[in-house]
Amino acid sequence: MINAVLVFNNSGQPRLTKFYTQLETSVQQRLISEIFTLVSNRPAGSCNFLPLPPLLASSGTSHTSSSEHNDTPSLVTYRHYATLYFIIISTSTESPLALIDLIQVYVEALDFLFENVCELDLIFNFEALHTTLSEMIVGGVVIETQLEKVVEGVRAQGKVAKRPVNEGRGGGGLGMAMGGNFAWAGR
Amino acid sequence: MFEKSLYDLIRGLRNHKGNEKEYIQNSLKECRAEIRGQDMDLKATALLKLVYLEMFGHDMSWASFHVLEVMSSPKYLQKRVGYLGAVQSFRPDTEVLMLATNLLKKDITSTSPIVMSLPIITLPHIITPSLALSVLADLLPRLTHSHPTIRKKTIVTLYRLALVYPETLRPAWPKIKERLMDENEAPSVTAAIVNVVCELGWRRPNDFLPLAPRLFELLVDSGNNWMAIKLIKLFATLTPLEPRLAKKLLPPLTSIIRTTPAMSLLYECINGIILGGILGSSDDTTDGEEIATLCVSKLRGMIMVEGDPNLKYVALLAFNKIVLTHPYLVAQQEDVIMECIDSPDISIRLRALDLVVGMVSSENLMSIVGRLMRQLRNSRSLTTEEANQRPVAGMIVPSADSDDEAPEAAIKPDRGASQEPLLPDDYKIDVISRILEMCSSNNYGYLVDFDWYIDVLIQLVRNAPLSRGTSALDDPDTNTKSVSSLDVSENIGNELRNVAVKVKAIRVVATRAAESILISMQIDNSSSLTSTSGALRPLAWIVGEYPTSLESSESTLTALLNIAKSPAPSEGLIIYLQAIPKIFAQISSDDRRPWTPERKIMTSLLMARIIHTLEPLAMHPDLEVQERAVEFAELLKLAAEASAGQEASSDDIEQDTPLLLTQAIPSLFSGQELNSVAAGAQRNVPMPKGLDLDEPINANLTNLLRAVEKAILTEPDQDDFENFYHKLPPTVPSVNEPTVNRLEGQRLGGPEEAVHSYQQGSEESYLDPDIVARRRAERLERNKDDPFYIAPAGSSDTSTPLHSILQGNNGPDLDLDAIPIMQLNLGGGDANVGGHSPPKKTKVSKARQRIQIAADETLGSGMSTPRNDDSETSLEGLQRMKSKGKQSVLQVDSSYVGAFSLEDDGKEGQIDFEQQQREEAEMAKAMKEVERLRLEMQRANERIQAAQGVPPEGTIVKKKKKSKPPTNNGEGEVVAVKKKKTKKAAVIDEGCGEASATAGVVKAKKKKKAKAVGMDEPQQS
Repeated sequence: MINAVLVFNNSGQPRLTKFYTQLETSVQQRLISEIFTLVSNRPAGSCNFLPLPPLLASSGTSHTSSSEHNDTPSLVTYRHYATLYFIIISTSTESPLALIDLIQVYVEALDFLFENVCELDLIFNFEALHTTLSEMIVGGVVIETQLEKVVEGVRAQGKVAKRPVNEGRGGGGLGMAMGGNFAWAGR
Repeated sequence: MFEKSLYDLIRGLRNHKGNEKEYIQNSLKECRAEIRGQDMDLKATALLKLVYLEMFGHDMSWASFHVLEVMSSPKYLQKRVGYLGAVQSFRPDTEVLMLATNLLKKDITSTSPIVMSLPIITLPHIITPSLALSVLADLLPRLTHSHPTIRKKTIVTLYRLALVYPETLRPAWPKIKERLMDENEAPSVTAAIVNVVCELGWRRPNDFLPLAPRLFELLVDSGNNWMAIKLIKLFATLTPLEPRLAKKLLPPLTSIIRTTPAMSLLYECINGIILGGILGSSDDTTDGEEIATLCVSKLRGMIMVEGDPNLKYVALLAFNKIVLTHPYLVAQQEDVIMECIDSPDISIRLRALDLVVGMVSSENLMSIVGRLMRQLRNSRSLTTEEANQRPVAGMIVPSADSDDEAPEAAIKPDRGASQEPLLPDDYKIDVISRILEMCSSNNYGYLVDFDWYIDVLIQLVRNAPLSRGTSALDDPDTNTKSVSSLDVSENIGNELRNVAVKVKAIRVVATRAAESILISMQIDNSSSLTSTSGALRPLAWIVGEYPTSLESSESTLTALLNIAKSPAPSEGLIIYLQAIPKIFAQISSDDRRPWTPERKIMTSLLMARIIHTLEPLAMHPDLEVQERAVEFAELLKLAAEASAGQEASSDDIEQDTPLLLTQAIPSLFSGQELNSVAAGAQRNVPMPKGLDLDEPINANLTNLLRAVEKAILTEPDQDDFENFYHKLPPTVPSVNEPTVNRLEGQRLGGPEEAVHSYQQGSEESYLDPDIVARRRAERLERNKDDPFYIAPAGSSDTSTPLHSILQGNNGPDLDLDAIPIMQLNLGGGDANVGGHSPPKKTKVSKARQRIQIAADETLGSGMSTPRNDDSETSLEGLQRMKSKGKQSVLQVDSSYVGAFSLEDDGKEGQIDFEQQQREEAEMAKAMKEVERLRLEMQRANERIQAAQGVPPEGTIVKKKKKSKPPTNNGEGEVVAVKKKKTKKAAVIDEGCGEASATAGVVKAKKKKKAKAVGMDEPQQS
């Protein structure tokens, strides 16, 4: 199952924190900053999987897990779009490559809802991030992977507002980075 | 008052660059005021702001009641904010959750689907067993809601309910199964069910076997890759239970592997085949081989694909699983895997590292370790400056930079290109432990060259990441981490000690290695070794245990004395204190040398120095340190007296060395040789009869200690003494290393860079120059009689004319030694390219035969292996139990579900649930009845009292009644029933009947008599 979904920007400012277990705020913050440290040190052309951050690795199941499945979070998947990092922490019952696609669907849904989304949209309308996510993942289990269904589900709950017009817009949207390089054929 | 929307808050934050903290504090204050107000709009806005700030680590647990208020708002958008607040801020200890139950139940039964889904998606975050019990009945009908979105969300929520309250599955599972079997069900609902079943599946695969036909159908027909991935994962847990399934699955999986363009599906198919044991299960071996080869070749293709590191990563993951069952298949891929070890990407490296540990053999051990050593050596650690730049764990202050960060993104790539990747310490520790693990595995079975291993260990001690023991004490959370980093340095030392103990042939080398590390630590302050390093303990033990192998006992002793003086942790001191007298005994015990005046002075000076080091430690807070320091100090004082009393021999009279020095002290330490003992052997020692560990050894201990405390003497001042001896002696040039070698080492320092550009495989690239120099000298020594070995010039005077010409023309910078020489090896068949491996190899095979590695000792030697194993596994079991107790941070514990069976999920379960509901209804009715009777009784009592005046006992009873029910016998039982809510219906009936009977009696009685109730009651009933 999925244990947490995080979004933060290039300087580690959280934009969305969603933990599917109840966790102390301070622990959440530590986890975010540990993952940010890991993710921001990735050389160009690295894979989209992070080694476990110290907070999660301390339970020591990363190497010598005797059984294939267990409840311990063992996989940290991330994708980087323009100024934002999207991170999913999950257990071994999730497929690593499918998680990469899942992040892609999430970003595409946001792009669709905001029409060429950029970080500012998400800052000013962070509730929409939560709403969209809850159309895709409930309680750590994926419930929807089809873009249209997700968008439809969010729109059913009301109009998604763009960010205020007078806020300056820097750089391109996240859409820029959504080229075909990661889109697995035949998803 | 000025009101701020979320928009204002964020814009304000962006405009207050630099003093965000203050701004946030002010905003929090405003939110606090706003959320307490009456205006619901304002409340909801304030809550949204708080949720936003919570994301940055500002606690909002104080607002949980207000979250509830907003949740109960009639407006949908406000309600949504309230539920979001609950998801983000409720913690297990949030008390208002009890109050939320009714609200949740109400919203679940709402008519609007969007309102309905709010509690459904919130429940997984806040669920508790009691909450699950009370909302279950409302949630179940949602499984058949007309809206597919509601159905799929409900299914997942029921799963999360089941995790904390397994009984959920009794009524829920048949309904979920019905959904799954329904061919007309919306595909996304089916997919959600499959996801849930996949989560449950690995816990109780047996329960899901009956579903296999339907799942198989879905796999073949659905065409939904997301679902197919999950189905394959599920089947991988089912096939081990039902071998026939494997056969059935093989054709569709093979065809997917051959045809699918989706890499994720392809990968999961391969993964499923591996995990499901389909590779090995196939009866037809050619079939199995074929599929295995197909998988491995596909995986190899994934690694080879240029430009997609993700595929590389997952392929390595898959190899990691195959290596357990088909090591030979993986070994064929050694080339691509070894490449991954040097990948710039740490994730890929780590996975490859996992793999090589499984692949290691005596042929490739040295090259693998060499690669890893090179990584460690070339990586740089975080400088303190960089470490300070890192965001400190804890609160992240939201700041105003977010529009435009393109420049930063542009800078990033060339950071990686300009220098070796920064290796985090965790990774280094991991690598070091893997190296140790690989070399020591199989009781050093793969190791052919122990000299090489010891050099590797010396190098590792130098490269081991700095331990941060002191900083860990401030932060209890990071304790585990720094402990492991302390451990790694100690582990290296332990390895050296193990080799020294187990391999007699190499003991001298190992001891000298320990010696040189200890001494060099004194000379070279810049090295990463400090007196707190864990490696020093085993090293000190080695030099103490084998002092006869030391090259220079005096300088080792000096080094140890200095370490003992420096602020070292007490665990270390205990060992240093033991080692010091051992070495001293070795130095002074020689009874063949005459007792000359020089010797007498030298010995007494030495003793004075040791005593001076030991004496301050006699006041050490650690008892063990204290005891050893006192013991040895007193012993040496005795010896000092003895040697002072013994006249030195002059020219005419021969005097004996004091016996205390030659006999008594050495006999303390020379006895039987110590052997390595198997971990857990201690557990095999039978407990002696009559041993009572709880019994105090001395009943009068506290008094004794008090007496001692009073008697503590004040030590006289010893300033001069201190100045004279406490100062470090001027740095003595390291005696254990010939000057030639040191010079050569310096010479090597220059051209080293050039060396590893074309001689990547050699040891120079991962061993420090001085170690390399020593190795070279040793090699020279070994090969000096070998006519085929071309000795490098400069080390001997047989330099060829060619060499001198070259040296003359090219200057001294050129190092011919670094050029690989094709070695002619006439004896062995394997003429390898590369400087020196062939001579070493021949030497090695010879050495290998003679090297004996002692096995661990354990009790009951006759059946040592099984018992040994036994004790080890039991130890492991213990550790596993310990680790099981500690859960990972994000972990959702599903172990409850594991204990729950779905087998009897038919009508019986249904009945159970319904029966339970009925019971509960009855219970509620009974409770109401009891309460009604109690009130009636109370009222009657009051009436009577009012009529009678107020007898003193009556008042007391009345007072008591307010806090708890009357204390008479019959009602006492009712109270008991009230407490045990879960009692069976039969019991309730009984209790109820009794209660009403008693109450009836009471009523009857009250009419007659007006007295305190408690007194007469027992007689009546």
